[in-house]
Amino acid sequence: MDWDVVWESVPLIWKGAGATVSMFAWALVIGTAGALALALMRLSAAKPLQWFAIGFGWLFRGIPLLILLFFAFFALPELGILLSPFLAAILGFSLWTAAYQAEVIRSGIIAVDPGQSEASEALGMTKAHYMRRIIFPQGLRIMVPPFTGNAITLLKQTSLATLVTVPEMALLTQRIFSNNFKFVEPIFVLGMIYLAMTSVLLIVSVAVERAVSLKV
Amino acid sequence: MNALVQVTGLRKSFGDNEVLKGVDFEVERGEVVAIIGPSGSGKTTILRCINLLERPTGGRVEVDGRVVCEELGDGTMRFAERGDVREIREQVGMVFQRFNLFPHMTALDNITEAPKSVRGMSKEDANARARELLDSVGLGHKADAYPLQLSGGQQQRVAIARALAMEPALMLFDEVTSAVDPELAGEILMVMKRLAQQGMTMLVVTHEMSFAADVADRVLFIDHGVIVEQGQARDVLTAPQNPRTRAFLHAVLDRAPMAEDDESTAGAGEEAGFGGSDLFSERVATDPEAGPDDG
Ligand SMILES: Nc1ncnc2c1ncn2[C@@H]1O[C@H](COP(=O)(O)OP(=O)(O)O)[C@@H](O)[C@H]1O
Ligand SMILES: [Mg+2]
Repeated sequence: MDWDVVWESVPLIWKGAGATVSMFAWALVIGTAGALALALMRLSAAKPLQWFAIGFGWLFRGIPLLILLFFAFFALPELGILLSPFLAAILGFSLWTAAYQAEVIRSGIIAVDPGQSEASEALGMTKAHYMRRIIFPQGLRIMVPPFTGNAITLLKQTSLATLVTVPEMALLTQRIFSNNFKFVEPIFVLGMIYLAMTSVLLIVSVAVERAVSLKV
Repeated sequence: MNALVQVTGLRKSFGDNEVLKGVDFEVERGEVVAIIGPSGSGKTTILRCINLLERPTGGRVEVDGRVVCEELGDGTMRFAERGDVREIREQVGMVFQRFNLFPHMTALDNITEAPKSVRGMSKEDANARARELLDSVGLGHKADAYPLQLSGGQQQRVAIARALAMEPALMLFDEVTSAVDPELAGEILMVMKRLAQQGMTMLVVTHEMSFAADVADRVLFIDHGVIVEQGQARDVLTAPQNPRTRAFLHAVLDRAPMAEDDESTAGAGEEAGFGGSDLFSERVATDPEAGPDDG
């Protein structure tokens, strides 16, 4: 491996980090909001909402993320909806995130001892209140590890946006392939940057896990 | 005035399993009624039907003049509206076998959460009231402790304080000592006894026969979803009429409930080990933490 090439590649690839991180952040925020809504629909008493949430999960967890991106970028324009590469990618990633994180949130909520909602109901609390104040904070402890796992997967999967022409890190890496005919070094740099980013997420998740764990 | 709780023909099935088969009883204001009976006989289900944690499948329940549920002429059930259910639940405090404290909140916050959110109490008032209640259950020094930092006996006393913070007219207790170490039961029973003395209306599912004898006005013995025997506590516990009651008491007390020789009722009770105050206070006295004003 030629270290000069490595150092030259770093700034070229790093220029895509902004796109990678912002796709990740937007999809995580939008997707998690959707996931919360889906989890609550799934747990509600209303059958149509339940079916919607189940159908959503079935569809968007059942097909490859790549197809979601292709659909958003290549197929939606034919239906009259023209999205920029960046927006198309965020749409695809958000749907994927919503579907996966909904499952995480739902399992976290149902893992909380039913005695907790019974005690809340016996005290006369409304469901909306005790879900927010009693159930959700406890479910959070259970949700954090799988939630972070999905977030890390999402961060890595943003590299698929290359295929809908978003100038993120993986796309810029390929540019080095074709311009300089160098492969090992740029691949190495790209891998290291992803590793650094996922490591940051891991550290954050450990800190969050600690913050929400029970004081004993 | 009407009884505070009126239960008529109460039935409850889980699928094909009929757990309550027509239960009738009343609880007068200020009365302490103990429910005893074998495991699985439906005691917990009775309590849960009163605050609609369980939806009865037949009969009628009324609390403080409000209809919790009633069976209509065509056999269908009509339940209180959602808002009424919440108001009924405000009137009915419940203490669970496994405490069900909120583990992510301090003892104080456990107690103030419902008064603040349900009764719209200010934070200051709720905190002040919670501290009084913690003092009254002997845990004034534990306001900032989390449930997992407390013993079972302490957790259950916090749970009692939490229910009392809503100023209920009725308290339901479901085997509140059976998940704690036996030596910690006394401190819980002590709190309940004082509550009874202060005139709280209480419906108490218990295996603590000495407590029932000492504190309860009346005892209901339930078996297989029917009330087999009910009456004055001392009558039922010391001179049960029904053979099933007798067999049950025999089993839990590990000796004959009725004294062989005919002493006074109280004497017979003591001999059988549930004569109340003596055994009870002994149990309380052996616990250093039991007093209401420790800490
Ligand atoms: N949620 C439930 N679903 C199905 N069966 C239940 C449920 N709750 C209680 N039961 C059944 O009802 C019967 C009475 O239960 P319970 O009222 O808890 O008895 P006890 O408190 O006297 O021990 C038991 O046979 C129990 O298995
Ligand atoms: Mg029970």
